[in-house]
Amino acid sequence: MKNDREGQLKIYQLFSPVLYGICLKYMKNEDDAKDVFQEAFVIAFQKIGQYKFEGSFEGWLKRIFINKLIETLNKKKKESFFLDVFDPDTDFVEEEELEAMPIEQEKLLEYIRDLPDQYRTVFNLYVFEKMKHKEIAELLKISEGTSKSNLNRAKHILQKRILSIKNFKTA
Amino acid sequence: MKKHKIEDIFSSMEDFSSIPPPELWGQIEEKLDKPKKKKRVVLWWSAAACLLLGLLLPSILHFTGSSENTNLNNGGLENSKNSFVLDQKTDDNSNIKNLDPHKNIDNSADSLNENTTRKNQLNTESGIQTEKTSVAETNSKNKTNKKDSKYNAPSPANVPNKSVAFQNSGSSEDKSTVKSSSKSILGNSTRKNQPNAESGIQSKESSVAQTNSKNKTNTKDSKYIATSLANTPNQSVAFHNYGSAKDKSIAKSSGKSILGSNSKTSNKAISEERIAFGKQSKFNSTANKQLSNSIFEEQLAAKNNKNLAFNGQSSSVNSNINRSNSPISSNRTDKAVIIKDDLKLANSLSKTDSMQLAELQNLEKGILSPEKKKEEKEKKDNLIDKKERWAVAVFAGVASSENTKNEKTLGNVNNSKQSTSYGVKTKYSINKKWAVGSGLKINELGQSVANVSYVSAKNNAFFTPDSYPVASASNAPTQEYLLISNSTKEAMKSENVQTGKLDQNLRYVEMPLEVSYAIFNKNKASINLNTGGFVGKLISNSVNLDGHSIGENMNANDYVYGSTLSSTVQYQVYKKTKVFVEPAMNYYINPLNSQSFNQFQWGLNFGLNVSF
Repeated sequence: MKNDREGQLKIYQLFSPVLYGICLKYMKNEDDAKDVFQEAFVIAFQKIGQYKFEGSFEGWLKRIFINKLIETLNKKKKESFFLDVFDPDTDFVEEEELEAMPIEQEKLLEYIRDLPDQYRTVFNLYVFEKMKHKEIAELLKISEGTSKSNLNRAKHILQKRILSIKNFKTA
Repeated sequence: MKKHKIEDIFSSMEDFSSIPPPELWGQIEEKLDKPKKKKRVVLWWSAAACLLLGLLLPSILHFTGSSENTNLNNGGLENSKNSFVLDQKTDDNSNIKNLDPHKNIDNSADSLNENTTRKNQLNTESGIQTEKTSVAETNSKNKTNKKDSKYNAPSPANVPNKSVAFQNSGSSEDKSTVKSSSKSILGNSTRKNQPNAESGIQSKESSVAQTNSKNKTNTKDSKYIATSLANTPNQSVAFHNYGSAKDKSIAKSSGKSILGSNSKTSNKAISEERIAFGKQSKFNSTANKQLSNSIFEEQLAAKNNKNLAFNGQSSSVNSNINRSNSPISSNRTDKAVIIKDDLKLANSLSKTDSMQLAELQNLEKGILSPEKKKEEKEKKDNLIDKKERWAVAVFAGVASSENTKNEKTLGNVNNSKQSTSYGVKTKYSINKKWAVGSGLKINELGQSVANVSYVSAKNNAFFTPDSYPVASASNAPTQEYLLISNSTKEAMKSENVQTGKLDQNLRYVEMPLEVSYAIFNKNKASINLNTGGFVGKLISNSVNLDGHSIGENMNANDYVYGSTLSSTVQYQVYKKTKVFVEPAMNYYINPLNSQSFNQFQWGLNFGLNVSF
């Protein structure tokens, strides 16, 4: 299978949309997403022999991709990653409930990608991967408090963006 | 209107998917086709380069140093009868017109006088040598011509021409010298030794007192020019070609390919069938209309082993793929899962979002457990690598210089000598296995020669300090010694000959360059194998006779170089602090130029290592 190009293509065809979608959600720009997507697929094919049939194959692939994404983001850490400053304005603000309104996926993706790297990563892991703060903290090598704080700030930013659309539409 | 939290609004992005640009597969294929970079090869090469550098650097220093040293040696006049040799600074005349003993003496005296005039100090480095061995040197003050004449004149054995030999100051190991008769030696020496003699005078280096146990050895010793000339061409640095390590890291073809192994484990469902249908949208959103594949898979794994896709053989996969419309080929975006045998189950699941979430979580946990452990372990390892790349160690230990070639000094075997060493070193970890290191170390190379015969000028009226300045120590100016070989001792049959223990020490500050490989690393313990080269700068040079300092070793190289091999056994005592024991072997290539000296050294260091 490892060198079975036909089999690899089948896997690629089957899982690439979901996995590419994940890459788009984690990376700020599309070029970076493409790079990680390629690299992660190469790793997946190279390590395919390590798959132990424990859990789903898609889950296994997702883990590889998420790890690769985090690794790539960590490399960028020096630029803008993981600001861990306490901000009472956002850290302790209660989450406001928003009126349900249809928002296109493109827009939502844009909002997510506009988040700072750290907030986006925590948000993705918490909301989409259903990870707990403790797990996120371990994965990103940050404190649990930082993870919570980052999530709150991410939500706060997203909330503002959504409200701005709503206000724009209302106006 | 119903209110939602942010998570709810973004929940539609959970299964967000997007078709990647078609060219990406081509790029992935390219990367897969490329042979994996062989880090191992790079590491081997870097290790070889370090080693080579470690050996090359001191070699250059050695060549530079040795060319200087050859110019410092002077010819010597030797008396063949009594085997006592007083080496003097000679000029052309002393060699050419070596027919008249008195004239010879005069010439010698003149040359000494010349030194006296220029420096106002006669630099007579008197040493005793057996064949190729010079032992000690001393500086005597303001010897006049008269005194020298006195000294030379009464010397009963100072009969010229029987043997006039030039000290072989070249490498004792260099056997490519031409053996010749006394006459030819004289001729050669006369012609070629002139610049050397001059340079010896200019540099005001010592004249060497030399004693030979046998007359025949004079001939052998008269290799001054030949050796010095042959020295350079005959020395070569062996560049070990480490060669390109064969690339052994050919990718293993895994026998556990998914498709192949499914035939063995057909009951372990990796069912991944998708039949895409629905509206076409840019982002293939599955939203809430479908089950996640993973849920489906888990359900199938638990309840239905008759799943599709990846069922064992690739043919079945192909057929499944063909049957199911690929999301890419069909370009359909909304997905749903159809279970062949359990449609009801799928339908019921699709209705319950909460169940989906729960299942997802369980699924993730299930997937994560083995994977996560592995990842965590890897991360932990990487973390150690990243965080603790640098290490600084202080150490101290004992060393024993050994005579592996059974060489002799003054007719006695060089014995091993114990000394202490200490220093600091730093290490940089390239990865988990490999590291490079350097540092500074104070180390002492030495040898001990027992039963060395000597005549003390203090107890001998004949060898008064004024008349026979052979050796004197700076801290014992009144004590002067004449070291003689065993054969000379027999010849002398003098009651004044005493025996004692001669200790020779060379202390260096060394800078090693090492490559380290971790052969064992588990829990808190680790064992590393280190090898490399070192350069040493001479900082102390002493010769002791029965505990009294009598001078310095002659022709000791200022820079010494060698190779080292050691093994470090470490144990972590506190977070980043480790203690270690390090047995080591050192080999010094050129401690002395013209004298046998212990070159091999055992060492045992104890130290403390802090990584950061």
